[in-house]
Formats: sequence, C-alpha cells, structure tokens
Amino acid sequence: MASATRPATVRERVADSDRSVGRLLLLSVGALFWSWLVVSWVNRWLGGVLVPVGQPLLPPGAVEATVAAVPGLAAYAADAAFVVDLTPELARGTWLTVVITAVSLVFGFFIAVPLAVSRVYGRFSAWLSLAYTELLRGTPLLAQLFVLYYGLNLASYVPGAFSGVFVRDVVWVAILGFTLNGAAYQAEYIRGALESVEEGQITAGRAIGLSKLETIYHVVLPQGLRYAIPSWTNEFVYLIKYSSLAAFITVPELYYRADQVASETFRYTLIFVVTGVTYLALVLTASKLMERVEERVAIPGLGVEREE
Amino acid sequence: MSDDDFLRVTDVSKWYGDEQVLNEVSFEMNRGDVTVLIGPSGSGKSTMLRCVNRLAEAQEGSIRLDGEEVLSPDLDVNALRREVGMVFQGFNLFAHLTAVGNVALGPRRVLGLSEAEARDRAEAQLERVGLGEQFDSYPAELSGGQQQRVGIARALAMQPKLMLFDEPTSALDPELIGEVLEVMHGLVDEGMTMLVVTHEMSFAREVADEIVFLDDGHVIERGPPEQLFENPEEDRTGRFLERIASHD
Repeated sequence: MASATRPATVRERVADSDRSVGRLLLLSVGALFWSWLVVSWVNRWLGGVLVPVGQPLLPPGAVEATVAAVPGLAAYAADAAFVVDLTPELARGTWLTVVITAVSLVFGFFIAVPLAVSRVYGRFSAWLSLAYTELLRGTPLLAQLFVLYYGLNLASYVPGAFSGVFVRDVVWVAILGFTLNGAAYQAEYIRGALESVEEGQITAGRAIGLSKLETIYHVVLPQGLRYAIPSWTNEFVYLIKYSSLAAFITVPELYYRADQVASETFRYTLIFVVTGVTYLALVLTASKLMERVEERVAIPGLGVEREE
Repeated sequence: MSDDDFLRVTDVSKWYGDEQVLNEVSFEMNRGDVTVLIGPSGSGKSTMLRCVNRLAEAQEGSIRLDGEEVLSPDLDVNALRREVGMVFQGFNLFAHLTAVGNVALGPRRVLGLSEAEARDRAEAQLERVGLGEQFDSYPAELSGGQQQRVGIARALAMQPKLMLFDEPTSALDPELIGEVLEVMHGLVDEGMTMLVVTHEMSFAREVADEIVFLDDGHVIERGPPEQLFENPEEDRTGRFLERIASHD
C-alpha cells in the first residue's frame, strides 16, 4: 500500500513538490493575513493594549524607511506607508464583513434547508417555496436592502436584546437582508443536490417504517447536503463579495470604510486594489475551508459519479 | 381457504391511469410458507408485492395480514412496514451509512432502540448473512452480492413477520447470485414467511410451498411447484416456463 501512494515518476514528484511549495506559500500568506486581522481586532476590543486604537500594528514611518532602503522600491515607499496607515480601517471594516457573511450564511442555511425540502417533497409548500425563491432571486439585492432599511425602517425596530451588539443597529438589517436573500440561493443549490439522491433509497427508508420526514432527515439530507457543498461554496463566496452592498445602507463594513477613506484622500486605485485583495483573501479562505470540510465529511463512493 | 390464513390477498386490482396492472389477484399463505410469484416482466408481480406493504396502492380488493386489513385507509402504514421486511432488486442501500449503519437505522429510529442495542442487533444480523467482516464497509466498498446481503440483514433487523423479496438476484452478476440464494435458503430453513418475486426457477422449485403464475395482471395458475413445473394446466404457464428454462 505504501508504495502505491509514492509518486512513481520524477515528473510526478516535481509536480508534488510544486504543489506543496504552493500550499506552503498560500498557508503562510493566509496565516499572516488572519494574524493581522485577529490581532487588530483584539487590540481594539481591549482598548489598545498593543498599539493605540486606530493606529496600525506597524509604524508607517518605519515601513516607509525599510521600503525606501530596498533598491528599486524607493518610489513605492510612500504608497507602502499609506497602505499601512489604511490597515486599521480595513481591519475594522473586515470584522463586520466577516460577521455579516458568517451569520447570514448560517441563518440562511436553516431557512434554505426547509425551503429546499418543501420544494422537492412538498405539495402546497413547494409552490410557496418556489414563489419565495423566485421573488428573492428575481429582484435586485440592493432593492431588497433599501426596502428593509429605508422603506420599512427596520433599523429602528431592532429588539432590545440585539440592539447595541454592533456599532450600529443597521448591521442587523443587513444580516436580515442577506439571510433572506442568501436563503433563496442556498435553497436552489440544496434542492439540486437533494434531487440527485437516489429515489430507491427513499423507498427503502419508507419500507423499514420511517415516515417521509424521517426518511428525508436520516437518508436524503445527509447525502444531499454533502453533494451540495461545492455549489454551496459558490454562494459563500458570492455572499462575501455582495456583503459590500451593505455599505449602501450605511453599514460600516470593509467597502464602506474603504470608500470613506478614498473620498477623503482620492487615492481610489490604491485603496480599492488593497480592499480587493482583502476580499480575495477572505474568498480564498472560505473556499479552502469548504474544501477541507468536504474532505472531512467525504464518504467512500458517495458523489463519485458526480465528479467524473 | 381457511379463516386463519396468515396472508390473504383477495381480488386485488390496480390501475396506472387507464392501464390495469393487477386484475383480481387472489392467493393466500400460511405462517412459515414460501410463496413465489413468477411471470413475464410487466405481469404485475412486483406491483403485487408492493401492494402488500403499501409502497403501491391497490384500488380494489382486500389484503389481510395476520387478521388486519392492509388496504384500510385508517391503517398506520409505518406500523405495517415495521413488520413487513422488503428486499429490493437494486439493493437500495443508504449510501452514506456503513453496513452496520444501514442495518441499525431501522432498529434505532423506528423501533427506538438505544445506539448500542441497535448496533448489537445490526452486527448480529450481518453475522447471520455472513458479513461478520464487513461491519464498517460502505456500500460502494461492497460487491453486489454483499450489498444485497446487507439489504436482507436490514430487513431482518426489524424482526419482520413477513419478508418480501423483489427480484433480489436480478441485478447481480451470475457468480454472485449463489451467495444471496444461500442466505434466502437459510431463512426458509428457519421458518421465515416469505413472498418472493424471482426468475430463479430452481430456487422456486426447491423452496416454494406455492407458485403463483401471473401474466398481464391475472393469476393464470397457482399450485405447488411439482404441479406447475411438471404438469401446468395452462398453456401460457408451460410456454413461460419453457422460455425461462431455455435461458438457464
């Protein structure tokens, strides 16, 4: 067995080491990115134990001097310092981006599963589910957020227990909007996956005396949700990016903070390149994370045909 | 036709749309009997089998199992299915569960046994079908014959009073049929009441108490295997058996 797993040819071994070098590089960059974020957040929560709140973790002056000392990079020293100066705002905005995405995704999931199940196995509820899904997927997300925030003025109805959890109560409105919208998309992905579970297994579940719902819970969902992981990851990735729409209802997340600084400094290109890279890092983290989840819950033979 | 027949099927008819698939089918079995339904494909054998545990709904007639009317609209179908095991042509194992998981699911979730009790029972049933070494294998890691034996163990774990077999060997490679038939022979020896749809004529001949020949939704002829195989009363029965024999 051991010999079978060893790469047979030189070319394979080179490809293997290329992959591990790439993986190591990605891992290091990821570790650096998340250390920066977590340390920045903790520093802020603890009232500036490492550096004063609002100050970058590294002194911009020192970074500027270091970059200037590198031959050929001197021209970028001022930009480097500017980016370092920007980092506290980025870290602060990223916190909300991460929280809004994660919370909406999880809440949305718990709405999406019943939606998908109704759609596939329900009668009347299938129509309700279809109507909900089409309405939410068929109208602009920004319009939905505007209705919730400007139209219904939900920010002023946030219940006491939730009020004050975030810098502004409007964050809850954004979470509600993304939850309702994301649920519709997640439901579509999950529906497709549920439909690919073999009919015969449902019959077998019913034949041992499980009810329809029990069969769905014990037989269909464990398989369907596994099938759904790759496409569900798409929704995760999309949600990270379109959480930036929350800026338009004044949620101070990553895009909002970047835009604020840009409108004061007019350094749009630099700021949005750095902001874009921050989103990219979040997206890569999400997709790598979901790859790991998929591997962890993999079952021999399950979903093999789908990959071929 | 005594009153204490364990399973009594009387004048069962079923239509899919305009097409009648079962036409006043009647037969009965005693406890411990093995009845084999034979007939050409499309003759309604599998549908008849599925009517017994209500996976298919008969529109007319009566099916009495152990004194209870199976076709009654008030019947708790899940309670019925708890007591009637079924084995499928395509195995239909739960792909995300190991052999033990497949067999334990019913005892755990339907009968309400504890995790440990359900596992013990599953292991005992897998031993019974000769799969003592495959407890933790997933269906994809098992051969067709092994998968079907897990399917039988899954049905047996509910301790059914009647076992339905729907062409249990039809999807198997010829060399794997023997191991499944061997398990079924074992069940016959233990006195299990079995209603079997199969094309395995030598099995039918050896173990059946009665053979029911269905064609086009009608019972053409029924009787003990010696009679049907040696002296069929109906031409159609004879022709069907000849055709089957020429394939063996």
